[in-house]
Amino acid sequence: MTPHSPGTGQINTLIWIGFFAALIVVVVINLGLFGAIGRNRGGRGRAAHQTRGPRGLQYRVAGALSGFAVVLFVLGIIFTSNATSTPQTTSGGLTSYHGKPLEGPLEVKATGQQWLWRYDYPNGAFSYYKLVIPVHTAIELQVESTDVVHTWSVPDLAPKVDAVPGKDTRIVFRADAEGEFWGQSATFSGQAYASMRTAVEVVSPERFEEFITEQQKNIHKGQEAAEAIDAIKVKELAEFEAAEEAHAKAEKSAGEAEAGVTTEETEEASTKE
Amino acid sequence: MSEQPRPEIAVDGFPRRSRYAWGDLVTSADHKDVAKILMVGSGGFLFLAALELLLMRLQLAIPENTFMEPVTFNRVLSFYGATSIFFFALPLIMGIFLYVAPLQVGARGTALPRLSQIGAALWVMGSIVLYAGFLWTPSEAGVNPLPPLSELAYLGNNGVDAWLTACGFATLGFVLIAVDLSTTLRVDRAPGMAWRRAPIFAWTAAVGSWLMLFIGPILLAAFTMLMVDRNYDGTFFINGAGGAPILWQHLTWIFYSGAYMLVLIFAFAAVAEIFAVFSGNELFNRNAVMGSIVAIAVIGTLAYLQNMYTAPIGIGWKYFGMLMALALIVPIGLVFFNLIATLNGGALRMRTPVLFAIGALVSISLGLAAEMQQSLVGAAFYLKGTTDSTAATSFALIGGAVFGGIAALHYWFPKITGRAMGEQLGRLSFWITAVGTLVAFVPMALAGWEEGQVVDAYKFFNHTGVNFYNMLASIGVLILFVGVVLILINAVASVKGGARAGHDPWGGDTLEWFAISPPPVHNFDVQPDVRSARPLRDIRAAIAERAREVEQRAARESQPVA
Repeated sequence: MTPHSPGTGQINTLIWIGFFAALIVVVVINLGLFGAIGRNRGGRGRAAHQTRGPRGLQYRVAGALSGFAVVLFVLGIIFTSNATSTPQTTSGGLTSYHGKPLEGPLEVKATGQQWLWRYDYPNGAFSYYKLVIPVHTAIELQVESTDVVHTWSVPDLAPKVDAVPGKDTRIVFRADAEGEFWGQSATFSGQAYASMRTAVEVVSPERFEEFITEQQKNIHKGQEAAEAIDAIKVKELAEFEAAEEAHAKAEKSAGEAEAGVTTEETEEASTKE
Repeated sequence: MSEQPRPEIAVDGFPRRSRYAWGDLVTSADHKDVAKILMVGSGGFLFLAALELLLMRLQLAIPENTFMEPVTFNRVLSFYGATSIFFFALPLIMGIFLYVAPLQVGARGTALPRLSQIGAALWVMGSIVLYAGFLWTPSEAGVNPLPPLSELAYLGNNGVDAWLTACGFATLGFVLIAVDLSTTLRVDRAPGMAWRRAPIFAWTAAVGSWLMLFIGPILLAAFTMLMVDRNYDGTFFINGAGGAPILWQHLTWIFYSGAYMLVLIFAFAAVAEIFAVFSGNELFNRNAVMGSIVAIAVIGTLAYLQNMYTAPIGIGWKYFGMLMALALIVPIGLVFFNLIATLNGGALRMRTPVLFAIGALVSISLGLAAEMQQSLVGAAFYLKGTTDSTAATSFALIGGAVFGGIAALHYWFPKITGRAMGEQLGRLSFWITAVGTLVAFVPMALAGWEEGQVVDAYKFFNHTGVNFYNMLASIGVLILFVGVVLILINAVASVKGGARAGHDPWGGDTLEWFAISPPPVHNFDVQPDVRSARPLRDIRAAIAERAREVEQRAARESQPVA
């Protein structure tokens, strides 16, 4: 991962702290183990001479281990709370929106469904797969799911967060670089889970306004087109039904005229068989 | 009082109950026969689990592979999850506990033998139900079938029901065996064997049984609730109808974390026995290890919340999970310290059990160090759900269940069969398995950490920078598979063809080596009085003393009277 937001910067630092702690643990254990094996190999008539430590030794070891654990715990809390602290919109970010000044973070809704993410913007525009956000702007992402549990994850920009149906989870993050960042759902969600990817495109505030206005327009256009098609369909259906009705009526009247003959004929045929 | 003769049971000349050995085996309630069913069965499932892992890695060897359909991959994944936990690791551990621990405390059998027998039968039924799913529609819900995905609305066929039934039967079996084992270790220890003199492995068997008694019913409750949801219109895990999907995660993670700790304490105890015996030393500080094992079991189970860092729960709960996970550093560190200090001043014989024991410690140290990194809440915000977390868990559990389990098998095989496992093949299988584990899981960890490759996915995409890592991991799993097959070949071939080992091939200090190999139905003709933590050493010293006395007397008597 390459962090591009204040939160993920903290996460990355904590990962490196954890890595060096893990490295210390692995090195100490394995040096001790292989050192002890090397020094105490049997053979050549060597006999065992048990060594005994005083009880205080156990307390000293436990004390050292506790100190190590406490340091990690404190660092873990510091960096985690930094990573989850709410970032503010900085200069160069989106300050006004549709002419109105933007107070607080920009709210976007992310909805997970098998196997796609849908993003709803405040002006009613929406997009699938790709989220477009302005740079240097605090984004409050409301993560939801309409079916099973998913995990929204774009490593370079924000912490992972589970989308659990019925739970309304919010994270606030700020992207500090323009560009396109990939993401992939990280909770097993069925057949096409491996393809449940997403992308976040970070753009300048001006481009963002353009995008959602255009998106909204396109959606309206699309809806109008769909409605037009619908209207045509409704009209055609009505015409078709009217024609059907007329046809049925004509048949009925014709049938009534022939009724006597046809029914008798069929009945005769069936009794013969 | 102590001079009163004890009633002895004569076994020589008793007719066998059945003409066939397997007939004896399946109708016997003897703890050794029941344990044999579990151990042999789990050996078979080790092969199947390794095969399933290999199939998945073949699919993931190259990007956007079409070797397997997504549905097939998800089915193999679900099989792998159930097989590796419920049908390999846990039965192997419960089986070795059930075989060895009563012998170690000098018991002539278990207290409630029929419970163990029923438990093993339930486990066998579970394994049949699981693999019968092959013939119809297996589960596609993954390693842990999270609702709502595992609800009827999303997976409508009977696969999930079969999966739940199979793993539920197995868990119920483990709980029944745990009842028998904890009772036996409580009431049937040999005279004089206080807990402070009990072998560390028997102590761990008691702690592990109590752990299973706690976590097993919780998992069974979760399984029952999901079965009710699926089949009787229940709403336990259905959002919007009074249920909560998150409840499943709480209940099952308690079990999986507890089972993880069971694997760890089992491996630590087996390594403790092996290090002590093969270096000719006693455990460096018994009390510290005994206490640490209890602490690992309790704290490790409470640390289950570290699996839910991205779930919608309060940040306070996540910090509590981190606190418990980091608190584990103290008891686990103490166990490592005492195991290594046990070697100090000893004369270590490098036999195959020792090799596997060392492999277990190295692999567990790698796995737990990586788990420690991920127990930091902020680090898990990125690392959770990546192959880095899979690699950490795999290192720890393969270290515990495969290396630790095979070390224990090599160590107690002469007691179980009267023959030793092949030394040459044992060494070869160790090195191949060790290389395979490293080559398989180090690249997987790197792919997860550097590029964020996700777990459980049936494919990965080209140009995401993980092609090389995945190819390497697949090669590693292939090597691991070969190692596992060699281990199993060695075990099977040694049952009939191994070198005769005698009753005490390693010079052990605990009472299982006092029984003949293989032990008779009643284990011991004479239950010895236990006066220290190394009863067999006392017995050997007493025999040597007696022999010396006899010799001296003979020498005195043969001297001409002056």
